[in-house]
Amino acid sequence: MLDGLVLFGRSIASFADPVTLGLIALASFAGIVIGALPGLTATMGVALMTTLTLKMPPSTALLVLVCVYVGAIYGGSRSAILLNIPGTPANAAACLDGYVLAQQGQAGKAIGISTTGSVMGTLIGMFFLAIATPALGEVALKFGAYEFFWLALFGVIISGNLTGGDPLKGWLAGFLGLFIAQVGQDGIHAYERFAFGNRDLAGGFQLIPALVGAFGFAEVLSVLAERMSRPRIREFASHLPRLGDVLKYWRTIIRSGIIGTFIGVVPGVGEDVASWSSYAAARRASKERELFGKGSVEGLMAAETGDNACVPGAMIPVLALAVPGSAPAAVLMAAMIIHGVQPGPLIMVQNPQFVYDIVAMMLFATLGIFVFGIALVRPLLKVLQIPRDIIMPIVFVLCVIGSYAIAQRLFDVWTMLVFGVIGFVLRRYAYPMAPFVLGIVLGDILDKSLRRGLVLSDGDLTPFLTRPISALMFAICVVSILMNFAAVRHAASRVWSTAASWRRAA
Amino acid sequence: MTGEVAPGGKPSPRADLVWSLVWIAVGAAIFYGGFAMDRLDRQHINPYTAPGLVPALLGVAIALMGVCLLARSVRAGGLGAASPPTGGHTNFPRLFLALALCLAYAAGLVGRGPPFWLATFLFVFVAIVALQWGERRGRGEVGKGILVAALCAAGTAAAVTLVFQELFLVRLP
Repeated sequence: MLDGLVLFGRSIASFADPVTLGLIALASFAGIVIGALPGLTATMGVALMTTLTLKMPPSTALLVLVCVYVGAIYGGSRSAILLNIPGTPANAAACLDGYVLAQQGQAGKAIGISTTGSVMGTLIGMFFLAIATPALGEVALKFGAYEFFWLALFGVIISGNLTGGDPLKGWLAGFLGLFIAQVGQDGIHAYERFAFGNRDLAGGFQLIPALVGAFGFAEVLSVLAERMSRPRIREFASHLPRLGDVLKYWRTIIRSGIIGTFIGVVPGVGEDVASWSSYAAARRASKERELFGKGSVEGLMAAETGDNACVPGAMIPVLALAVPGSAPAAVLMAAMIIHGVQPGPLIMVQNPQFVYDIVAMMLFATLGIFVFGIALVRPLLKVLQIPRDIIMPIVFVLCVIGSYAIAQRLFDVWTMLVFGVIGFVLRRYAYPMAPFVLGIVLGDILDKSLRRGLVLSDGDLTPFLTRPISALMFAICVVSILMNFAAVRHAASRVWSTAASWRRAA
Repeated sequence: MTGEVAPGGKPSPRADLVWSLVWIAVGAAIFYGGFAMDRLDRQHINPYTAPGLVPALLGVAIALMGVCLLARSVRAGGLGAASPPTGGHTNFPRLFLALALCLAYAAGLVGRGPPFWLATFLFVFVAIVALQWGERRGRGEVGKGILVAALCAAGTAAAVTLVFQELFLVRLP
């Protein structure tokens, strides 16, 4: 514990120089603007900023990306409150009460509440990031090929189950992602798979151009396909966040922070599920639940605490297992690898300082959103009023140059275009993008782990099902799939109610 | 995550039926690709590490899920008369215009002759003018629209070229 504090102190000190603080300010502001503009999401922002940080030292580059990530998730609440359009999907729950508060002439108060919730959520998540990553890293050291195989499958199945409204489509998207990761040289024999003699395809699809396409170009097309009138925003007075709100809703804040962090840890689920889950839990536990959806301060606080707590939560599996907890975390993980940092079970052994660097980055990002969230209310209003017909072509230019600049080859631009069109079409038919992205990230782990496991066991599948962690993950996967069948759900609820009646009788 | 809900609304059972056939075909093709892949017998590798093993299994899984989607869409009436398409808020002419402009820029201009700054200027200018044309013409602001587009295009082309070429030393296409 004390060692952790010392490492954390060292990380804080390493970032406390004027240039780095200036970059934190710029990145936090950029993140808030990206999040506030509907159509620009945290994933797209982090992916595009990855290109801009290529020449920076690794820790500075990742600091910038973390600030953009945290800023974007917070910034999305601004348009949710003022326009009833969530800036990022993570802020959809904030529309319910935030926009109603704005309609009641309390937009300033709503912005203050969302700032308080976001700051508290990030701090709670940061606390768990600091204590859970070393613990999970310790467990992860016991993982072998069997466990990593199930972890990869578990991520895609859980992500498919929880994101979007249709698990079958989520799994299809996830398995398509897993397949896409198989294109190119395989990780054991360097055999070219599905390359058809093409030298570029033999290298496989790079993650950043694929994500820029799936989240950037697809979003550009989605936004431009809808005609939207220029937003009109009512005048309002700004309010500072109040300590009274924190004290009054401390239970909601802690509950939402824990829920958000936990959902962040689950692979590929992400901030939107964290936000909705926190909101639903707050409504169930609230003494003023009739106000939810009608301008409830508690509801807005819960939603915003939950989604921002998810950000540090999503970094826990990235650092400990090299498995992203959300789509922006997947991009951050790719950026770490580009910068020569290899996340995964060995990180606490080889580079424990880096874990606390990430914790310190979260702290600086929290300061960034707090300062800019309060100080730059008016300039952000102006940004929100820029027509999307102007913003989106510029964003597309960044998608092109962002894809190209990493390896400086036109094939990556083509990759971006293809994945953009695939992403656009899949989304229009309700196939969620989160499992798709997670599949691309986890495909290599799944492939190598299955084949290595089979070699170790000489083709025997028993170790995949009998080792304790493998058995647990296998059981969760099977239950997650089976619970989607109505007959199984009814049978489970019958068993549950019978057991409950026996308990009562006893 | 972005766009988890289909922007065009809930897809019809007919659309799911068509998609299920696509998935079955994709799954079958992947399975065949994996199954027919060289098993590197001549190199005496362990057969469990054959490169086609995982793709073949993924192909089977995708095809099976496609069959599930097919069964579900048939149960939901996917074989019945097609319902009129619901595009939601989609403005198809704008969508095709945006797609054409983006493809023309990224696949037709970038790296095909004109310098990057010129390609970028042309794309941003044409895109803004074209996408705002109806609205600007309705308000009698065509001249202003062209001026705004030219300024945005010049600013973007200059900023992107300077930042990436001079600051990050990227050899632009």
